[in-house]
Amino acid sequence: MNAAAPASASATSGTAHSTAPPDSLPPHRFPGSAERARIRRGAHRVLLGNWTGASTVPSRGLYPHQWSWDSAFIAIGLRHLSAVRAQRELETLLGGQWEDGRIPHIVFNPRVPPDAYFPGPDFWRSSSAGAAATGGTGAARGGPGAPRGVETSGIVQPPVHALAAWLVHLADPATSRRRGFLGRVRPRLAAWHRYLAERRDIGGGGLAAAVHPWEPGMDNSPCWDGPLARVEPAAADSFRRADLAHGAAADRPTDLDYGRYVALAAGYRDHGYRDADAPHPFAVEDPSFNSLLILSEHALAAITRELGGDPAPHRERAAALTDALVRRLWSPEAGQFLCRDLRDLRGGPRGGGPDQRPASPPSRASRTAPAGALVDARSAAGLLPLIVPGLPRHITAALLRTLAGEHFGLGTSVRLLPSYDLRGPAFDPSRYWRGPAWFNVNWLLERGLRRCGETERADTLRADVLGAAAASRFAEYLDPYTGAARGTRDFSWTAALALDLLKEPDSGHESVPEVQQAGFTSMSPAESTRESPQSSESKPEPESESEEGPDL
Amino acid sequence: MFTTACQEQLLPGETLQQKWEVARAAGYGAIELRGRGDFAFRDRLPELRRALADGVVMPTVCVEMRHFFGAFDEDLRRDAVQQMKSQLSVIGELGGRGAMTPASYGMFSRRLPPFEPPRSEEEDREVLLAGLTELGEHARREGVALFLEPLNRYEDHMVNRLGQAVELIRETGLDSVRVGIDSYHMNIEEADPPAAILAAAPYIGHAQVSDSNRFQPGAGHLDWPAWLGALDAAGYEGELAVECRLTGDPAEAVGSVPAFLARAAA
Repeated sequence: MNAAAPASASATSGTAHSTAPPDSLPPHRFPGSAERARIRRGAHRVLLGNWTGASTVPSRGLYPHQWSWDSAFIAIGLRHLSAVRAQRELETLLGGQWEDGRIPHIVFNPRVPPDAYFPGPDFWRSSSAGAAATGGTGAARGGPGAPRGVETSGIVQPPVHALAAWLVHLADPATSRRRGFLGRVRPRLAAWHRYLAERRDIGGGGLAAAVHPWEPGMDNSPCWDGPLARVEPAAADSFRRADLAHGAAADRPTDLDYGRYVALAAGYRDHGYRDADAPHPFAVEDPSFNSLLILSEHALAAITRELGGDPAPHRERAAALTDALVRRLWSPEAGQFLCRDLRDLRGGPRGGGPDQRPASPPSRASRTAPAGALVDARSAAGLLPLIVPGLPRHITAALLRTLAGEHFGLGTSVRLLPSYDLRGPAFDPSRYWRGPAWFNVNWLLERGLRRCGETERADTLRADVLGAAAASRFAEYLDPYTGAARGTRDFSWTAALALDLLKEPDSGHESVPEVQQAGFTSMSPAESTRESPQSSESKPEPESESEEGPDL
Repeated sequence: MFTTACQEQLLPGETLQQKWEVARAAGYGAIELRGRGDFAFRDRLPELRRALADGVVMPTVCVEMRHFFGAFDEDLRRDAVQQMKSQLSVIGELGGRGAMTPASYGMFSRRLPPFEPPRSEEEDREVLLAGLTELGEHARREGVALFLEPLNRYEDHMVNRLGQAVELIRETGLDSVRVGIDSYHMNIEEADPPAAILAAAPYIGHAQVSDSNRFQPGAGHLDWPAWLGALDAAGYEGELAVECRLTGDPAEAVGSVPAFLARAAA
């Protein structure tokens, strides 16, 4: 990347563009065949090097176990290198699933010393603290039923897995059918989604809530600063971080935040990971987490249909989630989705957002307002609903404007979507999820742009992601302005998702089931201006999707 | 991405030219020759020169003898070294890249009775290093390479894995000795074949392919995309030489391989 300095962001201040603005960064071209071959070889080297025999570590040093959403993103790229390994990746992760359906965010490798990562197996103690109560099944006795043969963490990460399973299947349907892949993973994926629906709808409004800042995957996002401030941190001498041995301290979360993460996880553990009993002092509805759940419900519909079952319940569930997403998390004032802090009892900017000062006068919506309040911080999570099929058109249009506007500056100030508001008070171009650009976020955005018919912007983003992945040696994340590599290198999902983007133009037979289907698209800027005025009571407008369901 | 080569005995036809025609039609880009003992390979020079003049591409030769440079018997060992030197010279004269040989084949297996070989590991190593050095120096003079092929434990007791071959090659210090990898043997011996390829990357000089059951690629259960992806990532630019048994209709089986490998490597 060769981005402008931060100061240039002000040049476009206040402007929002539905097409590329005049002072946009010079476009990168899709790499030529020699460059593509070089990136491909590099990505293959990373994925083969990080394979452990049954799954892939995110990186050899910093992350020596199997991570839940990492594995899903890794499988999406690994499918192009080895369909069998990609299937194994997901099967191995699902081997760590709990009886209550949760897929833990880490499945620990027993061959790695317990102190190689903190919080490690000795902290989570899943097989004891999360066990099903003796004398009954987990469901009957309230124990969540952590597996006995493997140690895992007790929290979760975003549900990208059904999407990954479907994409992995599409890469080599013959091998998938021969191995009975979908038939084996489908019940587990359905149980996972059921867990989120039944145990994690803490706000009662139809969305899944995260009970730890690590659950939405964007661990130290400024969105959590407010909700976290109410959490009493664990004493600094009560734990020892392992992440600083591998990463620069300036790129990682602070010690104080880490103390809060530890306190939350310990509290959950000490309540036996039983969602009904745990006090969950941190409970947040995250737009990205729920958008991925929606996409995965659609994928589960496709998987179910492929296996001869009835996809309708999954489609209905996806539609209900989409409805709830808009109802609970859309902020017309912010022009993006925001996180909802379910423990914020002060009211806060209901239905409003960072730009709404003071809060808008009471509306019909606020009379039945959902619990908690929208969080006054803009993160990339609020734009990722672009991947969701069937969003109201005016919302899609607003998201596209926000994307290019001063807060995220895509194509004007930066080449890759930053994780947090470029103009936000907590912006830090280096620190983990407080500003840097991440590859999974940008892979999702590329998909979202393509879905919306923003082909040119998607093409530009794809070229930029590939260029940045190669130039950074497949870094974990980047300074969004300079493109300088941050975090660890040879990061598995960066390599995997680069491979997936690289494959796209040449994978006609694979992408056929993914192409846009009639009635499900895209909207020209002209159409968007004809949309009805924005409303805080926005409801998704079902856009006539074919019987086959939306593309994924 | 890779050029696929077919060993000559798998192709129908009386002459190399006829075989080449069949090979080309099936998508092969080269023929791998087989080098018999008693200087039979050298004696084929007139035939090979004519084939070369007619455009047949023959970059490599794979030894086809009953004794090898790691033989227990001193006389057999000396003969194997002389035969390999001759084969290296011939393939050099044809403008090829090199000749492939294992340390031994069918001589001893630690997995079969009587389990303990008549020679110690140290003595094995001395013999192998002496042979590799002599052959490597000869190969260097001829402008070609000797490819040392690890075989599975039932066929050879000395060099079974790529790492063992690399260690010996490093000891000789010769660029003219490289590893010749074989997917079938690797499937038995390597814990993670693609990782083994990447670990041996700078030393790999040649690659032979057959499936998990020794039949043509596609007839077994090897993870070809991962294997070929690793070979590509290793920077390997030589041929994939098909050395296998055939299952099904022989002509169809031989003809199926280039397209199968191309798709697997896509």
